[in-house]
Amino acid sequence: MTTNLRYMTMALFAAAAITGCKRDEEDTLVPPPPANEEEVITTMILTFDGQAGAADKELRFTDADGDGGGVPVFELDTLQAASNYNVSIILLNETVSPIDTISNEVLEEGVDHQFFFQPTDANITFAYSDADANGNPIGLQTTMASGTASVGSLKVTLRHEPDKTAAGVASGDITNAAGETDIEVTFPVVIE
Amino acid sequence: MVFFRACMALFLTLPCWCSAQTASGCDLVLSGTVMDEHDHTPLAFAEVSVPALGRGTVTDEQGRFRLEGLCAGSLVVRVDHLGCEPIERRIEVREERAIELFLEHHTEELRELEVVRERPDEHVGQAHDALDKHAMERSSGKTLAEMLATIPGVNTLNSGPTISKPVIHGLSGNRILTLNQGVRQEDQQWGTEHAPNLDPFSSDRITVVKGAASVQYGSDALGGVIITEPVELPREAEISGEVRGIGMWNGRGGGGNALLQGGVQGMRGLGWRVQGSGRYLGDSEAPDYVLSNTGVREGGASAAVGYRDHRWNATAYYSWFTRELGILRASHIGNLTDLNNAIESGTPWYVADFTYDIEAPRQDVEHHLVKAEAGYAISERDRIVLTYGYQADDRQEYDIRRGGRSGTPAIDLFLTTHTADAVLKHWIGKHIHGKVGVSGVYQENINVPGTGIRPLIPNYRKQSGGVFLLEHFPISPKVEMEAGVRVEATQLDVAKYTFDDVLITPQHDFTNSAFTLGANWSVKDSLRLRFNVGTAYRPPHVSELYSEGLHHGAAAIERGDAQLTSERSLKGTIDLEALWFGGRLRTDVTLYANSIADYIYLRPDGVELTIRGAFPVFQYVATDAFLYGLDATLQAKLTKRFSLRNRTSLVRGRDLSQSEWLFQMPSDRMENALLFELPQAGAWRAVEVSAASQIVFTQSRVPVDLDYSDPPGTYHLLGLSASASRTLGKGELRIGLQANNLLNTTYRDYMDRFRYYADARGTDLTFWIRYSFGKHT
Repeated sequence: MTTNLRYMTMALFAAAAITGCKRDEEDTLVPPPPANEEEVITTMILTFDGQAGAADKELRFTDADGDGGGVPVFELDTLQAASNYNVSIILLNETVSPIDTISNEVLEEGVDHQFFFQPTDANITFAYSDADANGNPIGLQTTMASGTASVGSLKVTLRHEPDKTAAGVASGDITNAAGETDIEVTFPVVIE
Repeated sequence: MVFFRACMALFLTLPCWCSAQTASGCDLVLSGTVMDEHDHTPLAFAEVSVPALGRGTVTDEQGRFRLEGLCAGSLVVRVDHLGCEPIERRIEVREERAIELFLEHHTEELRELEVVRERPDEHVGQAHDALDKHAMERSSGKTLAEMLATIPGVNTLNSGPTISKPVIHGLSGNRILTLNQGVRQEDQQWGTEHAPNLDPFSSDRITVVKGAASVQYGSDALGGVIITEPVELPREAEISGEVRGIGMWNGRGGGGNALLQGGVQGMRGLGWRVQGSGRYLGDSEAPDYVLSNTGVREGGASAAVGYRDHRWNATAYYSWFTRELGILRASHIGNLTDLNNAIESGTPWYVADFTYDIEAPRQDVEHHLVKAEAGYAISERDRIVLTYGYQADDRQEYDIRRGGRSGTPAIDLFLTTHTADAVLKHWIGKHIHGKVGVSGVYQENINVPGTGIRPLIPNYRKQSGGVFLLEHFPISPKVEMEAGVRVEATQLDVAKYTFDDVLITPQHDFTNSAFTLGANWSVKDSLRLRFNVGTAYRPPHVSELYSEGLHHGAAAIERGDAQLTSERSLKGTIDLEALWFGGRLRTDVTLYANSIADYIYLRPDGVELTIRGAFPVFQYVATDAFLYGLDATLQAKLTKRFSLRNRTSLVRGRDLSQSEWLFQMPSDRMENALLFELPQAGAWRAVEVSAASQIVFTQSRVPVDLDYSDPPGTYHLLGLSASASRTLGKGELRIGLQANNLLNTTYRDYMDRFRYYADARGTDLTFWIRYSFGKHT
């Protein structure tokens, strides 16, 4: 019995000696400061270039810290009724300096991307005015025509690897587009 | 020499009257008696078998058995008795005269005899099941989790056809523990899409303990423990080995493994073993379409060298495992709209022609384990064992990324773990024996810089140390008890940047304790009862404390809670093994209940707007959970050749504070199989054929408004399996054929996280062939 106790004590010390040798440096654990998150899209700007005397307008969505964290902010202009606009989409990553224009990446990979525009209760229609290397639309450049005064919303979706040849997709119908969603922002829209 | 004799209530005397006529070499008779070791009373209903030949018999009322028609040579005889660990003995039948072999008392005198494996009952009172190498061979080509799922009470949690994690009694991931070669496996099990990184063929026996077992194994053993057991190394010079090839229809690939082991001439006690294996598969196929980007490449190798004599033993072991796998392309979604589209369309949005290529999204993992173990017998019956383990787990996950970044990992984690244990196996007086030990873990998890993405989980360092005591004591000739306690302290240091890029280095301390109390009660020869009540604990994982952000695969924003405390489980199991009608019906029923305080899970907490649209927010919260259920195996011998077997698993999980069902609990399932065995058919031996029908019921017990779609419906699958052996040259050849989902049934499983996107695999045919030689295989 006493020998057993002695052996147990020996065992405890032996193991304590093994587990006791731990390093005490903090540096291995502390990560380097966060690198630039290059793929983050913080900002989507729709610029409306008014035709035939209509004033220029802008719809802007900003989520300054990317997904999660702070709440996104909308900055919205009222659009003019019965007018035509040339619409451009600009995507920015404002977490990096200098600010990165993500829409250029989308343009470069145009064959793999397409924007879709889905108004609800707002009297507006879109038509694509750009094309990728295969002659299919991307949607960075569109023309928009507004109708009578109305209040509603506009959902802008960017799909990655859509099936651009599926029925209706090239004319802006998202139903058969498949692919995965990179952006989906619904802007409140007022037309006066 | 053998330290746990008292818990091996088996004793085997083998008078081996080997017939003088050995012309054909196959008409020898092996007979003997199985007795209780303590009082030498004969044991009825003990199963005596020669696993390599698929031959077996059951002892009669006097404990006697008789196996006829055996060939001369070396045989491993296995004895199973209710509630006891099986014992295996190697018997050399070379002599042509009658010899009597008394295994227990004359091992030193008789060189013909070698104790193949001492397997003292380490889990008194615990319900447990094991896969031996024959059972593992029948599942050739499958993953570890799929192999284990043949055990009642064990299920899989899948992410498509390539990733499966074991689930024991409804719990998985960090709530079960894997003990690989005696070392706690540390390989990022917190992720539901992280399969265990180990090669099942690096061991020849895998045990699943289905109880709370933190006393013996430390934290995380809430649901149970998976033990891939170290292989006993040969002690004599003869070389033996095996090589196996596997071909798989679904995935159009295959695999193989090879093993070589031996001893060193003139150095009795010194043995070595090397082993390697691999798998290579292309896209899996569902009945109606290709499951694009579900290829797998896997490789593993291990080497062991060890020495043992009557006082010392020492082993060095190294294993390497690598796996690259594709993740179903159609499961990659951008937001909730995509998920809803996938559910509504009912077919994957991305299907391409079959290919072996693996593109993003994909995973690339590598796992190394180095183990050194030394034991010393400090007295006749007391032994001290020191074990050190080092593991490095290297994981890269590649996502589909813009701007040509798909070749840059989105997650790049390097996890290193040192474990050290010192255990004293001892006797106190004549009847009490057990172990006392200390264990320590030192772990670092580092996000390798360069992903260009905010890390999903922060860097952390975990240090823990524990002491435990576990004693076995008989309280009557029929009742063996086990009791134990453990205390463990864990310190967690975290280093992360907040959303405002401010470095924070919080520290967490957790102190936990556990106890266990169990009993094996041999009510009579045909009825054994195992009973255990034990506790287990698990400090929260850093992902539960500090997750903050979008989980792309789950289309959800997940938020950790740094205030979470350890989960504490109290689990009771009752396991009843019985034989009826003279051994013709065998039943094994396990009932269990597990109460878990501060059970951590994700609870919906509103929605949050992002540039990808609105995402549901899930918050890690603690609740009190209660799980209970039943596993049963019933096997009836219809005739000498035919048996019927039923395996049933039921699990129920309740969230007590919400009065709600728990999410992702396995649904009820049942397997019925017709088994046929033939000892000899021409030159073929151990012919086994089985037809199995598996029915998995729909999960009707789900939390309200948590899931994105209703659970899939009930499905029924048919399977076939056949195998046989023959002598080839100086070795043995065994071939097998396995067919799963024979009718090419279209189905989805509730426990598959990709059930929103695609059907499960269609018909799968596997053919394997194995050649083994030498006396140790």
